[in-house]
Amino acid sequence: MCSRCQLNPVIFPPNNTKGLCKSCFFKYFERKFNRTISQFKLIEPNEKIGVAISGGKDSLSLLYLLNKLKSKKRFSIEALLIDEGIKGYRDRTIKDAKDFCKELGVKLNIISYKDEIGYPLDNLIKKLKMKPCSICGVFRRHLINKYSRKLNFDKVATGHNLDDEVQTILMNQFRNNPEVSARLGPITGIKDDKKFIRRIKPFYLITEKEVTTYAYLKNFKIKFCECPYNTESYRINVREFINKFEEKYPGTKHSIINSFLEILPILKERYKNYNEINYCKLCKEPSSKEICQACEIKSKIK
Amino acid sequence: MVKVFIERQNKKMNVKAKDIDGLIKNLNINKEEVIIVKNNQLTPRNEKLKDNDEVKFLSVISGG
Repeated sequence: MCSRCQLNPVIFPPNNTKGLCKSCFFKYFERKFNRTISQFKLIEPNEKIGVAISGGKDSLSLLYLLNKLKSKKRFSIEALLIDEGIKGYRDRTIKDAKDFCKELGVKLNIISYKDEIGYPLDNLIKKLKMKPCSICGVFRRHLINKYSRKLNFDKVATGHNLDDEVQTILMNQFRNNPEVSARLGPITGIKDDKKFIRRIKPFYLITEKEVTTYAYLKNFKIKFCECPYNTESYRINVREFINKFEEKYPGTKHSIINSFLEILPILKERYKNYNEINYCKLCKEPSSKEICQACEIKSKIK
Repeated sequence: MVKVFIERQNKKMNVKAKDIDGLIKNLNINKEEVIIVKNNQLTPRNEKLKDNDEVKFLSVISGG
């Protein structure tokens, strides 16, 4: 029975052996979402927040909740979707995204690789001898930042959840990349850099199971759709490892996040010069090198 | 027989199972990676199953 009202539970969050019913779960979930925004000062009044959406359950749940919160906290939102050009995948999620934005009355901006880079990802992978995720990640980050600035967003919100962050923390740990971990956290980027739009993760303390349960119970019409290039095997292995561990020792994921938040200020201080932002000589976008990765990849396209 | 649908694999099948935990073990599914819907009701813990029950395993993993 639900630990608060004695109805049938729909989920057992960590440290709650009695579970929560549908109505108490909504309250718990939305309170946690709002608290994350306040605790980490993710959004200030009068800001314009860009919501990076893919059409999947995480980003559309994020859009729904930010839309619900915007009047109370006095901020505005617009959605931004990057169309990489992946046949049979992105075209399907774009439809869900368009329908969802229309229903909520949120303006949707769609930026495509085809217009910006010259080719859709399906063609780029034939032209470049690189892993699809390496090409996609670079151009996606590049375009999100460039268009967030053009659209006057103060910050960009993404649907990254607790599971995504835990995986990245462990991947960086296993690969000895502490300087990359120093760039993680619920809010990233440098406050006073006009060219780098800060990223915020309001689902930072929420598991993907909780987000899926929320989207299901809210009856969001989102079909499961997997990217055909989703072959980042290292992340898949780390995810399976963590999930097996969590099943055996519940609370593991939260422990990883909580201890990471304890050491994050130390990491940020230690690597503050390492992660200094410069600007690409060619496109003037923020970059850690003279020429940014996006321009470097572009130069290889034949 | 229980009617099973695994969303991630887009797979439907009929399986003999006494309860949800037995079914999960049999299909080698990690509970952390799915939400379980039995006869259109979210079912977060073990429950007995009978013939013609419908069990859906919906993926919690992001699509990419």
